[in-house]
Amino acid sequence: MQTDKALINQIKETYSMEPRPDFVLNTELELRKAARKMKRKRTFKLISLTSSGFILSFLAILWIFSFNGKETIENTLSSFVENNPLSVVKNSEPLVYIYHSHNQESFISETKTKDPNNEPYHPTRNISLVGNRFSQALKERNISSVHDTSDTMGILQDRGLSYDQSYSVSRESLEESLKNNPTIEMIFDIHRDSNEKNGTTAKINGEDFARIAFVVFRSNVKDEDSLKFAQHLHKIVEGKYPGLSRGVLVKTDPNTQNTYNQDLKNQSVLLEIGGVENTLEEEYRTADALAEVVEELLKYQK
Amino acid sequence: MADNDYENRVVEIYRQYYLDVYRFLICFTGNQNDAEDLTQEVFIRVLNNFKNFHSGSSSVKTWIFSIAKHIAIDHFRKKRFSAIFTDGFFKQLASTEKEPNDLVEQNEIKKMVHTAISGLKPSFRAVVILRAINEFSIKETAEVLNCSESKVKVDYHRALKILKCKLDIGAEEVIENAN
Repeated sequence: MQTDKALINQIKETYSMEPRPDFVLNTELELRKAARKMKRKRTFKLISLTSSGFILSFLAILWIFSFNGKETIENTLSSFVENNPLSVVKNSEPLVYIYHSHNQESFISETKTKDPNNEPYHPTRNISLVGNRFSQALKERNISSVHDTSDTMGILQDRGLSYDQSYSVSRESLEESLKNNPTIEMIFDIHRDSNEKNGTTAKINGEDFARIAFVVFRSNVKDEDSLKFAQHLHKIVEGKYPGLSRGVLVKTDPNTQNTYNQDLKNQSVLLEIGGVENTLEEEYRTADALAEVVEELLKYQK
Repeated sequence: MADNDYENRVVEIYRQYYLDVYRFLICFTGNQNDAEDLTQEVFIRVLNNFKNFHSGSSSVKTWIFSIAKHIAIDHFRKKRFSAIFTDGFFKQLASTEKEPNDLVEQNEIKKMVHTAISGLKPSFRAVVILRAINEFSIKETAEVLNCSESKVKVDYHRALKILKCKLDIGAEEVIENAN
């Protein structure tokens, strides 16, 4: 029987108890290499984690901001709609058609003519500027409109037609527009009158406005509706801007079949805004006021 | 712990324990190449897991040896049914010994000792090596093997008894053959 100690010594002698020195060194180098690799991996992980964190938070902030922005808009929208039972705000489809059968009608202040017998006309500085202002003012009130700026009088000359034919020419683009925009409810044919200044100007709150006349032609089939429409507008103008409206003028001409395009829609009216002696500034004031009135009427109708 | 400190700490541990780990593994496997490979594997695992090691539960020493034991047993299972295990051992011995005549018997004895040890089941083998070669205390051995101290005592004595039996018979055989 061997003693335990002898047995253990025998075991120890059996195996080479010292590893090779180059193995010891190599393993240490391997360990250091592995440690650095791990460190790089960890650094990379850290960097990617932080950067993705940053990107995420940036996106979140962006989202929150845009969401809030949208919400704010929606809040304003909904509060507006709540206050006014009018949905025109969201309506990007045109409700109003504006055109000028006598588009070159202009003002003395623009054409600089001295001759009182020679009515001012101008190819660009004309009544269509007022129509444009009216369209802009409606847009500011979120009412979409179609403004026909075609040079009707130029077309008349090109085709060699008489002045009376201007309503037929302007009717072409009106019919086209009505076909393309079935949402149109109101049609305004804007003119300027040839009256003198004292008849066409109103002083309201210390400012000069070009006065408006609502003209309805009795010859047309839908005259009753057109008349009501003009009277509505007149009443609202009277309420808001006393003295601005010259009233509703009904023109009866049983000899002519001309409807002045008022047969196309119930709510059609010809407007005379100001006269030859009014300035564009006065015209624009009225255009702004008229936009307010149209908005009021739309609210009333809804 | 800063990363450079981490690297240095692991290397420090390596320098402190590589010899013991290597000795444990050479006795367990009987093959120097395997022992070296496994030693490296042990310390790579130490490196990878050192940040998860909490010195509260056990000492660094017993922690490292429990890793070594796992790796050794895994290795044993892989090689269990392969002849490469013993082949490697004898090849290695043959290559290191340019056997002069008086060394032949010595060589025979080594062969027998290894056969005896590799005949032990892994848990007995681990107990013997830890207690006898690494000179671990009973408590440390119990920690490494994750068992009770009394089991360490009992297993150790049984394992030694088995070895003694085998080697006595073996020695007699050698003598008989010599005669």
